[in-house]
Amino acid sequence: MAMTAASPRRFLADLAVASFGIGILLILAFPFIWVVLISFRPDSEIFTRTFQLITSFTLENYFTLLDGSPFPTYLRNSLIVCTIATVLAVSISLITAYGFSRNRRFAGRQLLLILVIATQLFPFVILITPLYATFFALGLINNPISLVISYTAINLPFAIYMLLGYLDTIPRELDEAARIDGANTLQIIFRVILPVAWPGVVVVAVYAFVSAWDEFLFALTLMTSDANKTVPVGLAGFFGEYTTQWNLVMTASVISTLPTLVLFMLLQRKLVSDLAAGSIKQ
Amino acid sequence: MTTPLPDAPAARLARPWGARLEPYALVLPAMAVLAFFFAGPAIYNVALAFQDLSLFDLGKEGRWVGFDNFAEVLSDPSTGQALYNTAVPLTAVTVVIRLVLGLLLALLLNATVFRRWRLGWLVRSLVLIPWVTPPVVAVAAWKWLLDARYGAVNQLLVGTGLIEQGIPFLAKTSTVWGAVETMLIWRELPFVVITFLAALQSIPSELREAARIDGANGWQIETRIVLPLLKPVIAVVTLLTTIWTFNNFVYVWLATRGGPGDYTQVLATQMYTTSFVDYRMGTGAAIGVVMSVIMFVFALVYFFVIFREKGEK
Repeated sequence: MAMTAASPRRFLADLAVASFGIGILLILAFPFIWVVLISFRPDSEIFTRTFQLITSFTLENYFTLLDGSPFPTYLRNSLIVCTIATVLAVSISLITAYGFSRNRRFAGRQLLLILVIATQLFPFVILITPLYATFFALGLINNPISLVISYTAINLPFAIYMLLGYLDTIPRELDEAARIDGANTLQIIFRVILPVAWPGVVVVAVYAFVSAWDEFLFALTLMTSDANKTVPVGLAGFFGEYTTQWNLVMTASVISTLPTLVLFMLLQRKLVSDLAAGSIKQ
Repeated sequence: MTTPLPDAPAARLARPWGARLEPYALVLPAMAVLAFFFAGPAIYNVALAFQDLSLFDLGKEGRWVGFDNFAEVLSDPSTGQALYNTAVPLTAVTVVIRLVLGLLLALLLNATVFRRWRLGWLVRSLVLIPWVTPPVVAVAAWKWLLDARYGAVNQLLVGTGLIEQGIPFLAKTSTVWGAVETMLIWRELPFVVITFLAALQSIPSELREAARIDGANGWQIETRIVLPLLKPVIAVVTLLTTIWTFNNFVYVWLATRGGPGDYTQVLATQMYTTSFVDYRMGTGAAIGVVMSVIMFVFALVYFFVIFREKGEK
């Protein structure tokens, strides 16, 4: 589109709207931009009485955090737990969504789908006491397996619904062809459907990973030793009530945000359109 | 319709048992996990609410005490205060502000200039920033911004001469709710904006054009044509954000621990404190039951209102 075709007045109006909009978004993004700036700021320049946007630059906070603090342990714990939980949640929900998608009228189908949605009404905080008791009985308190189970379960309901939406758009002829070639149902799901549904599966996996990565309550309650803490709980421990090294907290904050930031920015267009489509459909 | 359906009774009868059981086999693993994680604990929580059980006696059966826990919870004035805090400053205030700001921002970002100038990617990236921040990070960032001495907000306020001394926003009862609400709204606003923006972009532009030709002005188009079309999306977003916020634990817990004193205690933090700080699992479970009942009634009333409206049309 040739911008020269528009009248100067139109151009000025456009410029006003665009800069106003971007300006507001920059203000909205400012707290995080501030976090990033502080993470590169030396100790001596954190506790100043006047506002300074730009000061000297250092990587020291990153070295201190990654080399002289328990933060790398939290990172490793989070990465392991969230990755396993994501793979489990996506695999189980893919099988389930296939079951719901390809069988439209088995007895109880509607009821089960309603029950899956109903789990979203629960205050998670009421599950924590009984689950603590259950994991205690199973000897899984302070064992990352209990977090893997929790994060898998938390992500199943929305993963089932999102994948059901994708699978319904994949023609059944694909399954039929594979079945004639002698494939069984699991082979059809993972060798025929999965490659076709891949873009949708990636979106579901990203949401599952991010929601596990952000989770606080279960990690706080179920993991009791420092060695098993995940990033959110570890980070929360850094800003206790009295003594706080804010530049280290901000550095840890930047690192904690990096995985979600990278995943969302890489897939932003698809993530946003799929999320919105889901809410509108409901 | 003359083509026979593949699931016609004759075809179904002819299918072997294995094929008829297959759908159940496929959905079973997920249902088992959900039963273990949601259904079982929900039932166990109700049973716990009628027992006197300390966290240290876990694994044993508690002493059955009937409705004692409920009597204690419901007669305790702090429960009323926590319920009010949960319903009004935490949920109602932040949901309404998110809806209004989200709608205004979505209308602004829906202006055609962002598409014509190919700024979509920039808009999406910037909108998403608060949302990619984990809630813990959001609280950390705002605690530092609001720090009484070294926080950027107070430095700017003092620097411009608006106030003489920094305000400890999270320690004063007059400012603490505003501070917690700011954190929550900042982190959760993008979801509302993105959803509304997608809904706006699904409205065909011919509709606006036609209204404009008929002589409607910009304000009339937004309020009489666009807003009614957004109603279903607004209804869903309101329901979801209300449930999520009412049940939310992490913002209040990390920002204030319910303080100063018990001033910002909400039901979720009170429940957690009762069970895991005071070790009174039965009483904590009773608070959980009260919370669930309130949300259940809210959802019922909400669905009733929405469906009745739909029926009238």
